[in-house]
Amino acid sequence: MLVSAIAGGFIGTLVFSTVVKAASEMALTRMDLTLLLGTTVTDNRRKARAIGFIFHLLLGVVFAMAYAAFFRIIGHSAWWLGAIGGTVHAVFTSTVLVNMLLPIVHPRMATTETAADETTLIEPPGFLMLNYGRSTFLVSLAAHIAYGISVALIVRV
Amino acid sequence: MSRIDGYAPIEDYALIGDGRTAALVARDGAIDWLCLPNFDSPSVFAAILDRQRGGAFELQPEGAFESSRRYLPRTNVLETTFTTGTGTVRVVDALTLPGPKLAPMRELARSIEGVAGAVPMRWRVQPRFAYGGHAPRCEWRLGMPVAAWGAEAMAIAHRNAGTPAWRGDGVEGRFEIGAGGRALLALAGAYAEPLVLPDADAVAGRLEATIRFWTEWAGERPCDGPWADLVMRSALALKLMIFAPSGAAVAAPTTSLPEEIGGQRNWDYRFCWIRDSNFMISALMRLGCHAEARSLFWWFMQATALTEPDLHVLYRLDGGVGPREHRVPLSGYRGSAPVRVGNGALEQAQHDIYGALLETACLYSEGERALDRDTGAVLARIADRVCDIWRQPDSGIWEVRNGPFHFTHSKVMCWVALDRAVKMAGDGEVPARHADRWRREAAAIREYVDTECWSSELRSYTRTAGSRDVDASLLMLPLVGYGDPRGDRVRGTIDAVNRLLRNGDFVRRYRADDGVPGGEGAFLNCSFWLVGALARCGRLDEAGELMDNLAGRANDVGLFSEEIDPPSGAFLGNFPQALVHLALVDAALALQGKA
Repeated sequence: MLVSAIAGGFIGTLVFSTVVKAASEMALTRMDLTLLLGTTVTDNRRKARAIGFIFHLLLGVVFAMAYAAFFRIIGHSAWWLGAIGGTVHAVFTSTVLVNMLLPIVHPRMATTETAADETTLIEPPGFLMLNYGRSTFLVSLAAHIAYGISVALIVRV
Repeated sequence: MSRIDGYAPIEDYALIGDGRTAALVARDGAIDWLCLPNFDSPSVFAAILDRQRGGAFELQPEGAFESSRRYLPRTNVLETTFTTGTGTVRVVDALTLPGPKLAPMRELARSIEGVAGAVPMRWRVQPRFAYGGHAPRCEWRLGMPVAAWGAEAMAIAHRNAGTPAWRGDGVEGRFEIGAGGRALLALAGAYAEPLVLPDADAVAGRLEATIRFWTEWAGERPCDGPWADLVMRSALALKLMIFAPSGAAVAAPTTSLPEEIGGQRNWDYRFCWIRDSNFMISALMRLGCHAEARSLFWWFMQATALTEPDLHVLYRLDGGVGPREHRVPLSGYRGSAPVRVGNGALEQAQHDIYGALLETACLYSEGERALDRDTGAVLARIADRVCDIWRQPDSGIWEVRNGPFHFTHSKVMCWVALDRAVKMAGDGEVPARHADRWRREAAAIREYVDTECWSSELRSYTRTAGSRDVDASLLMLPLVGYGDPRGDRVRGTIDAVNRLLRNGDFVRRYRADDGVPGGEGAFLNCSFWLVGALARCGRLDEAGELMDNLAGRANDVGLFSEEIDPPSGAFLGNFPQALVHLALVDAALALQGKA
């Protein structure tokens, strides 16, 4: 199960990234998770994107393990379960993870507490990440559902 | 400065840029043209093409004022000084360079400094995304105004510049600045990523670093001679027109500034023309810009890799082909519609570009380094292609839309292509397998041009085979080494162009119909070509006098547009135009015997 969860997380994250990038090219969103994640550790744009991509892959694998554990507990895995998992995942990341937690831990993201002693800052995502475009939540939802389905189809219970 | 129907004269603009995009700043402090994130992206400020719907970033004193401006010495950073009845204020404008730290994707900095007295100032940012097609979503992020639409967004950072407020779909503020006072406005742009919200101190630091970069860049390229200032300004302007991510150079950073007020000759120049390549590489190398020349040459080879041995007239800055020409719903500069995006010349056959590319490769291999084997093979295939097509008519250098014709200039450039291919084969840069064929065909072209494209009556080469017109493009014959520059034929051709196309300091392109309705101004590159041609055939006094006169036609910051209206001296066409500045550099160097 572990190997299939890692494979599912890897492939699911690639599918997720492809959906988000396509949406970005279609001017539906300004969400850029690689930049957001990478700038937690560096203020160099190029390095940030490379590091952010690795972070994102690792997070994708971690979440896939959680999916796999869930499938194992209920003793069943199916694409529609992955889709439901992706929906819950999207709501969780858009409200709690990225909207609330990321600005707290991100050293370069603007918050309401940012003061004059801090310099150039990254725009916060806002509720449902709508600061990055009105369609951002829908893009995130579609990408997470695609991720969930990919994981569900690959994970062996 | 006075606007006509809300439009500033084209000569009242100055260019700032960061090697990825560029903005036009009017003498009254309005930024009326800016595309984000790149030169060829849709505009966010296009008031120069539609006062009502285009969008602009205005910054000026509240009451009546006079203004003067300059570039900070040896930089692309603009300084405008406003003088009012109550005091004087200085505004420094730049598109800043990002540096190694996290910075906005694009950043436009406007630094304001009180010089004397107290001056009430007003500013208004009214972005219009997608060529005026979309008003923004007006929002706030932590006290900073943010305008967004689709994948684009911009934030307006401010310090000591009043309290910003959204009014309608623009954000504006008012403040008073006294002697010694400082204020700052900065526009941070983002595309397909979250905004990086700029801190005022960081903006000021990047502005300083930007000034330092330009000063150092210019310092590494010393210019001398009587037109040194103009040559240096041209070098700086050309550097601004190079798209740093790929190395390609735009023909001009604007679209659809008209060749005639109210006319239809409005074209998009935000592409890289193969034609300009040999001028560009030659100028860059002679100005000491070897890295830029290398980058441009390799961009050409990569862009043409998918289409060779056939070449397109122009390529996108990323090396792709297209987009097709279409119209956008802007009313045009002073009503000069349509406003076009994309360029229809893309679909034309223009044979001169083969000569331009082979000449470019030859100049590059002479001045820089040996070509690699694959590049040599590509150039050989292109030379073979020239042998196949030179007998066919084409649309010519001026991209006429009623052709094709047998243009003399195109035939000569095909000769250039084969002549340079033979030379490079001799130097071992290009496979020599077909060199005999290239030699034979080059001789055939020469015979064709010297018989079919020569008029004994005019004592000149002609515009097209068998015609009795001349064309300013014939001035390029001595520039590309066709014929003896001091021989009867070249001198006769220069005299004929002088006689039939010159009006004072200006040279018309031609008098024949070109299939496009409406008139046009005088193309300034033709005047500089005339200087270069006269200098090469030893008529230095005549060339120097014309050069002096043309130098006086530059605007107050040393820039030229594509064309000029001879009676009024008003600029016409896209601004500033690379080809004019390239021709200027060539003319200045030719006068010094360096070309």
